[in-house]
Parts: sequence; structure tokens; C-alpha cells
Amino acid sequence: MGGAGESHDIMAGRMLTLPHRPFRIAAAVALAVAITVLIALVLWAILAAATEASGTSRVDIPHLLRMTSIQAGLTTILSLAVGTALAWSLNRLRFPGRDLLVGLFASAIVTPGMVVAFGLLAIWGRNGWINQASNALFGVSIGNPAFGLSGILFAHVVLDAAFAARILLARLDAIPTNRLKTGQSLALTAWQRFALIDWPALRGSIPGIGAIIFLLAFTSFPIVLLLGGGPANQTLEVAIYAAVRQDFDLSGAVRLAATQIAVCSVVILIASALAPVPTSFGASASPLWRDSTAARMLQSLVLAIATLGFVAPLLSVLIDGFGSIGRVLAQPTFWWATVTSLAVGSASALLTLVLALALAMGRGATGNKPLRTLLGMPAFAYLAVPAVVLSLGFFLLVRSLGAAPAQAAPFVVIVANSLLALPFAIATLGPPLEAITRGRGKLMRSLGLSGWRQFRLVELPLIGRDLGVMLALAFCFSLGDLGVIALFGTQDLQTLPLMMFRAMGSYRNNDAGAIAAILLIGTVLAFAGLPKLFGKIADAAR
Amino acid sequence: MLHVEDLRFIHPGQPLEYCFNFTGQAGEVTAISGASGSGKSTLLDLIAGFLEPRSGQIKLDGADLASLPPERRPISLLLQSESLFEHLSAGRNIALGLPPRTAKEIIRQKVDQALGEVGLSGVEHQIAATLSGGQKQRVALARTLLRDRPVLLLDEPFSALDDETRGTIRDLVGVLTRSHGWYTILVSHHADDVEQLAQRRYRLDEGRLELY
Repeated sequence: MGGAGESHDIMAGRMLTLPHRPFRIAAAVALAVAITVLIALVLWAILAAATEASGTSRVDIPHLLRMTSIQAGLTTILSLAVGTALAWSLNRLRFPGRDLLVGLFASAIVTPGMVVAFGLLAIWGRNGWINQASNALFGVSIGNPAFGLSGILFAHVVLDAAFAARILLARLDAIPTNRLKTGQSLALTAWQRFALIDWPALRGSIPGIGAIIFLLAFTSFPIVLLLGGGPANQTLEVAIYAAVRQDFDLSGAVRLAATQIAVCSVVILIASALAPVPTSFGASASPLWRDSTAARMLQSLVLAIATLGFVAPLLSVLIDGFGSIGRVLAQPTFWWATVTSLAVGSASALLTLVLALALAMGRGATGNKPLRTLLGMPAFAYLAVPAVVLSLGFFLLVRSLGAAPAQAAPFVVIVANSLLALPFAIATLGPPLEAITRGRGKLMRSLGLSGWRQFRLVELPLIGRDLGVMLALAFCFSLGDLGVIALFGTQDLQTLPLMMFRAMGSYRNNDAGAIAAILLIGTVLAFAGLPKLFGKIADAAR
Repeated sequence: MLHVEDLRFIHPGQPLEYCFNFTGQAGEVTAISGASGSGKSTLLDLIAGFLEPRSGQIKLDGADLASLPPERRPISLLLQSESLFEHLSAGRNIALGLPPRTAKEIIRQKVDQALGEVGLSGVEHQIAATLSGGQKQRVALARTLLRDRPVLLLDEPFSALDDETRGTIRDLVGVLTRSHGWYTILVSHHADDVEQLAQRRYRLDEGRLELY
């Protein structure tokens, strides 16, 4: 109770201060086992198919592995460099609209990859803004830099550098004020300040963020699919899709999936040993210490270029999209796809909420280490088994059970999207729930609060906004998903991303642009609105 | 009568074995003082049920408490801080001292009454985070009144308060202990608090309590 160190040791050793919640633990164990069994079945279906597969496949795994690794490695290096520069600039500069810009960069994690890819094509593509301007002014074309490795890297860096910047900015904002005061009193230069104060605060996060960016780039699907420009730049993920949907080479797909799982598992093992990466953020700190004019000019330049790089593709999607939005709105298939997207998004977000809440609550209710490890395992499901691989596994599983994939499609799409969002959901809800049970367990237990009262009076009001963030993440992931729906989509089950992809495949770029604009607006609205809505609901519960 | 007899405990990995023996009377404050890390909080955790003793008894009027889980022990807690849920109103914090399905009218009546008794009427709708340190301790005491548990454990409850508030809250604890017949156990390293409030004083040294 009294001395902090003494009290901590006691709680860490015995955990008798945790409220007694057998129902929470039992529910979490049941769900964790169910998820683990499901993933195991999916993996079994893939491995069983791999064992049966004949040796006639044409897939070139070494080439694909090399290309995927090069692409993911370059993406990681570039994203970390740009993200660090951007975080440094945002930490120093204060200007009207800064909070909006910081929020915009935070939304990178949910911005659909295919929307960004489409935006880059609109600017840098053969008929993009740059080529049009170049032709009009100089009569020459700059070609098509949006296609190929350069385009893939550009799109990945747009999203991943913004993601990295937001996390690194939180680290910079958390530097203790007294350390800044000391540095300021010593009149450190901008470089000294970065080397002596900023870098020590950032470097612990860099390996963890790098591992996640590598994994995201390694398993990237829509961006490589849209901007890859052919087999030369294909990655494992896209090759699996092509093997199933275009070449009907199931044995090749299975081998690719097994390779993908093996590589991802190794990266996860490395990543899990590195610093954790939070997904929700507090408010940025106010400035205390201004750098020299030269440094501030450099920061302004970095910020301007990064903002242009991130905002321009999204802006182009909106501008180009609105031009032909009327035509798309008049199509019944669009409305059917919208309803499907909203239904799938809502269902998978709710399923994610139930799973993440139950798992995080159960994990927070026990001090038993093996049990806590078991309850944390479902969070790794997506990271070990990416979208297209998961879909392939479900596809094989459904087929081996004798069911038609088309019939199982709605269920599979909802479950798969939910599993994909689960690690982010648990990362969002887990820490605050743990903090409540650890910090207030003694008080709750001594007052004899029931599990329901604990949730209604203590947890719900305190995690309301986190619930909104989690629902927004899950909904947006599902809304922008192409990896799962690409394998399971049918004429009857078509979401907006799949409709957009099909429109691009049949050269209806105006339709695709309009759908991209709608997807972008939907994502931004959900990402900004849901946390606020749930914050208000939580306030009302107080 | 509250009897703690041969209550033994060892922190994992540490050589010292605590062995606690003391007696408390209804309507009296029993003070436990000692150096930082001497085990004062360990004793309160054992009494509250947050730690399991290796052996020994905690008896209240003959009934054994040691086998009960924390939530079923006839005990209330008042800590240095975090005795309240800061996001809830003062009234809701106090109402947590009543059984779950108490009628709203009775809750309002009892909360008003408890707040009156601790001299803090009119703050029931105020969010706990906005209260001063002294007001928070009064609200926690008001909740203790509604819980109506005979044993009150105080862990450095006045440490975060200024001198004037400290004296007022200390007096209030003394008055409530006498009027409600509580067995109040105060852990403090402030000689002032111990002298002003306690009828029975123990010093904790080398894992043993000594009456002084």
C-alpha cells in the first residue's frame, strides 16, 4: 500500500489485488482456444494442400522472395528516414492547423492502400496531372513513374512514413520538460539537441516500428497489385492471388503461402523482442524551445514536402473522383456494394470489439503468466498469416469441408477481416484495461464490485474513447480491404474496393476514381467520428 | 476486539520473516509506525486480504477473517491517494459503499446524510478529479460510513494534505472512529498523526511490532 516499490513487488508477486473474475477468464480462454483452433485449421488446410501438390508449379519462389525482401527493406529504410524527419519537424513547429495535420498523419494507418495507389496514378500516371502539365508546357512526357518499384515504394512511404512519424512524434512529445530546460540552458545547437535529447528518446522505438513497417510492406497487397506493373515487381502476396485467381495454380499458391508464413513468423519473432508500438496517442506537448532559423527553415521544408507527398494523392482522389461521382451513384451495383461494405465493415468491427474486449479483459483479470501468454496469442494471428494467405487457407478449408466457397464467402470475409484487425484492437484496448485492473484492483476488490459494475462504472467511462478508436480501426480496415475479398468476392458479394478494382481492370477509371473518393471520405469520417461518438457515450456513463 | 496473532509472512526472495501480533479496541485508533520499507504496508495488505499469510490469525470478536477474500472482509480502506474513482462524481463514489440494487431515493438520502456527516454537503455531483485533496479524503470517509464495516485501515491518509487540512481530517477520523465504534488502524511515519490520533501505538522493527 504505502511505499511504491514495496507495493509494486507485492502486486507483481502475488496478484491478490486483482478482482476475482472467473467468468472473464473463462470467456477469454474459450475465445483464444477457438481462434487458435481456427488458425490451426487454416494452416492445416494450406499444409495439407502443399503436401498433396504436384511439382509442376511455375512459381519462382527465390525471385519473388528476393523482390519482396528488397521492396520491403527499401520501404522500411525510406519510411523510417522520412518519418523521423517529419516527426522532428512536427515536434518543433507550431502553426494554425497543426493538430489537423497531425490527425491526418495518424489516419495513415487506416487509409486504404488502393486509394493512395490510385491517387499516385492520378498525379504521376501516364495521364496524370504531372504528365498533362508537362505535355502542355513543354510538349514532353515524363513516362509513368507511378508504375513499378518506384511507384510501390512511393505509395508505401506515403503511408508508412506518416505512420512512423505519428509514433515518433509521441516519443518526442514525451521528453521530460526538465531535460529540455537543461538543454536550452546549455544553448545546444539544433544538431546537438537532436543527437543528445531527441535521438535517445527515439532510438528505442525505431527497431519495433521498422519491424512492423517491414511486415506491412512484405505483406502489402493492393498497392503492389495496382502499381506493380507486371511479374518483375510481383511480391509473394500478389503472386498467391495471381496463382489462385488467374493461373489456377493451387499448388504454387500453397507453396508461396507456406514461404510467406515462414518469413513472417521469423520477422514476428524478431519484432516481438523489440519495443512495443502503441496505436493510440495523447495530445502533443506545447513548444518550449525554438531551434535556430536555419533549422526551422529545414523543418518547414521537410514538413511542406511530406505534407504534399501525403495530401496530394488523397486530394487528387477527391478532385478527380467528384467529377464522375454522379455516374457511379446512378448504378444499382454501387449501392449494393456500399451496403455490402458497410454491413461487412460493421459486422467485422463488432466481432473485433467482442473478441478484443473479451481477450483483453480476461488477460487483465489473471496474473498467471502462461495463461496471459495464451490469451495474447490471438493477437499474432494476422501478423503470422496475412490477408491473402488467410483467405487462401479459408478457401481451401471451405472446399475440403465440401461447401461452395461462394456460400461461405460472407462469413469468411467478416471473420477474416476481424482477425486482421484483432492485433491492433488488442493493442488499443489491452494497455488501458490492464492499467485499470492493476492500478485500481485493490480499491475495486475491497469495495466488492461485481464484474458488471466494474465494467459499467470504471472501465467503460475510462476506455470509451479507446473503444471508439478500436471500432474505427476495425471498420476502416474492413472497409478498405481488398486482400480477403479479392479471393472470395463473387458477383453477388462485391464490396467497394472490389468494385473499384474491377472498374480499373475494365478501364473504367472514372468510376474507380469516384469509388476511391467515397472510400476515402468514409474512412476519414469513421476514423474521426467513431472515437468522438464513443467518448460521448462514455462521458454519459459517468 | 481485533486480534492479530502470530501473523507470519515472507516476501518471495527476501530473508526477513514478519511476525505480527497486536490488539485493537472498538472506538480506538491503533497506530503502526516504522521506517520506510519496514513492512507497515505489508501488515495492512495482510489484514485486508491482499496478501496471504504463511500462518496466523486475524480475529474480530472471535470470528476468523484470514480465510475470507478481500471483498468479504469487514474492512474499509483509506489510502494516501487513489481512494476514489476520479472520473466518477463524488456521489457515485460514495454510493459504491451501498449494495448494488439499492433504490435511487435511498441512495440519494444516504449519500446526502454521509456527506453531511463528513462536513461536505453539496458536492455530490462534482467529479472526484476536481475535488481538493482534503475533500477527496472526506468523500472516501463518507463512503466508509455507508459501507458500515467495523475495521478501517488507513495507509498514510494525511500525507498528501496541507497542515490545516491534515488536522481537520485527522480530527474527523478520530470523531468517526469513536462515534461508530470502528477498529481503526493507522499506518503513518508522521509522529504528529500518531500522537494526536492514536490511543494505542506500535513501532515496527525487524518484522516485529513493539508497543510503546
